[in-house]
Amino acid sequence: MKNLLARPIVRLLLAVVIAVVIIVAPISSSSFINYQLSLIAVFAVALLGLNIVMGYTGQVSLGQSAFLGLGAYIAAYGVRQEWPVVVIFLLCCIIPAAVGLLVALAAARLRGLALAMVTIALPIIGVPLAKRFPDFTGGSVGSTVSWLEAPEGSGLADDQFRYYLVVAIAVVLFILGRNLVRGRIGRAFAIVKSNEAVALSMGISPYRYKVLAFTIASLFGGASGFLYIAVVQYTSPETLSFATSINLVAAMVIGGSASILGTVLGAIYFVMLPVVAGQIDSSRTALISGAALLLVLFLLPGGLVSLPRRIAQLVRGGRGGSPRSRAAADRPPTGDTAPRTTAAPEAEKQPR
Amino acid sequence: MAYTIQLIVEGFATGSIYGALALAIVLVNRSTGLINFAQGSMGVLATFVAFGLVQLGAPLLLAMLVAFVFAFVFGAGVERFVVRRFEGGDPDTAVVVTIGLFVLIAGIAALIWGYEPRQFPSLFPPQSIEILGVFISLRSVGTIVVLVAVMALLQVLFRFTKLGLAMRAVADNPQSASLSGLPVSRLLMVGWGLAAVLGALAGILVAPQLFISPTMLDFALVYALAAAILGGLDSPLGAVVAAWFIGIVENLAGAYIDFIGDDLKIAVPFIFMLVILIARPQGLFGRKVTVRI
Repeated sequence: MKNLLARPIVRLLLAVVIAVVIIVAPISSSSFINYQLSLIAVFAVALLGLNIVMGYTGQVSLGQSAFLGLGAYIAAYGVRQEWPVVVIFLLCCIIPAAVGLLVALAAARLRGLALAMVTIALPIIGVPLAKRFPDFTGGSVGSTVSWLEAPEGSGLADDQFRYYLVVAIAVVLFILGRNLVRGRIGRAFAIVKSNEAVALSMGISPYRYKVLAFTIASLFGGASGFLYIAVVQYTSPETLSFATSINLVAAMVIGGSASILGTVLGAIYFVMLPVVAGQIDSSRTALISGAALLLVLFLLPGGLVSLPRRIAQLVRGGRGGSPRSRAAADRPPTGDTAPRTTAAPEAEKQPR
Repeated sequence: MAYTIQLIVEGFATGSIYGALALAIVLVNRSTGLINFAQGSMGVLATFVAFGLVQLGAPLLLAMLVAFVFAFVFGAGVERFVVRRFEGGDPDTAVVVTIGLFVLIAGIAALIWGYEPRQFPSLFPPQSIEILGVFISLRSVGTIVVLVAVMALLQVLFRFTKLGLAMRAVADNPQSASLSGLPVSRLLMVGWGLAAVLGALAGILVAPQLFISPTMLDFALVYALAAAILGGLDSPLGAVVAAWFIGIVENLAGAYIDFIGDDLKIAVPFIFMLVILIARPQGLFGRKVTVRI
């Protein structure tokens, strides 16, 4: 299986099949399904940004929803002012990125938990702030726009047109994001995540790369805000609420931290959870979401994306290994090796 | 002037509630080096236990004691069965674990008791007393007194008892503590249990005012985290002083600065936090740590 997947021709075929499915899917589906599929693309972009700062660079960010909301508000405002779509999109990227840069310049000086606290403040202050400027945001009622209707003669319904637009932008952003994390900058992120002192000794400034990661995350957040308005056509303070941020973090971890495919899985989870939970009992969404997150952390520390590898591991362990070695494999990989466990508590203690 | 003093006393009382939660966060952080985002929802769950007992007709004080016992057992259990697996590992993973707990426990409370806020009886009589022309509610006075008493108790525990000494040793260096024969894992459970009791106390103190609901302590938790970071995550006194400071400044800014008003006053502690963290990353009362490579 693994050897088969490693062959370029198989990968190419797989990519073609997926592309065809993505292109054909909206034609035969109902508008509700198209809406959900478009939403997956929207939140995949937000999660990609979150994954870049948190999964790849190791900086906890609990403020991603603030950038999503900011992008959505800018897009809604731009539509009302009848600006060209391209200008709106660029502003949706640039302004949140600039805000993210400003926050990061201050926050990246701090370590782990302090950074988490500063980023928590963004959605928590953002919600009353959004209500305070009703001319720009529509206050607590939110603002509704109506745009991006399918062009005449294209033969597409509105939902299909929006689906194609949103998915196309998301795919481009994903290719950019993938190249970023696989390239020189991505390697710098990885070394900043694993050890800042080593990064410094290699001439990589942890501060600069943290600021960069945070700015890119904000940019993706803002872009996903644009896509959100394209699909939902409505935004309110709820979009940037703290709960959205928490759910985004949960979805990122459940999908798979530091993984592009995991980001997509996380987005599917993020969008599908309320739909599925709504069919059972919508008041249990929080319960299901919390339980899912803890289950993944216990059983699949790498997220859903590591499921095939994990099953293969269990099958191998089941044949050859004793129950004890299987228990050892259960543990998150960081605590696995003996020298690491003895060194870890001390290393963890000092920065506090 | 009388109004200002009233605002300050009220800010003191609100700050005391944040302070109880901030103490819980500091306690957990000192023993296990984690920030427990679920501290608030654990407190709410214990408050709901008290609420259930009161509804069955139990007197409030008894219900409160049962809630404390429940909180202690629950907190120790969470440490033993959930958090322990992630201690000493990646701190970011641990943060996500407590976020998962936060969502899950709020979900459990909502499942049993629903989301709509309900009335909760107060520990203190609803009257106000007049001192030199200033009206101060007994609730405010009571809340402040309770918090000061709790702080004194914690000081006594950590300074003058064997248990406190052992807990300090574990916080200081788990390996050496373990080598000198201390039951480290059990002490960590005690630390988490005590923290959960503090959370329950915050919940019971604030419930009559906010009405009890699964999300009741969410905002208080954010303030408490801000206070804990401001005061330095390893300093109980610092956390409480910072919590008082936040409560008072927030109340005054909300009342006197027009632009801030009642809705934006939550921004005030964060702005302070950002400024102080940039000038003094270890917090106002925290020890500066040097990193050995």
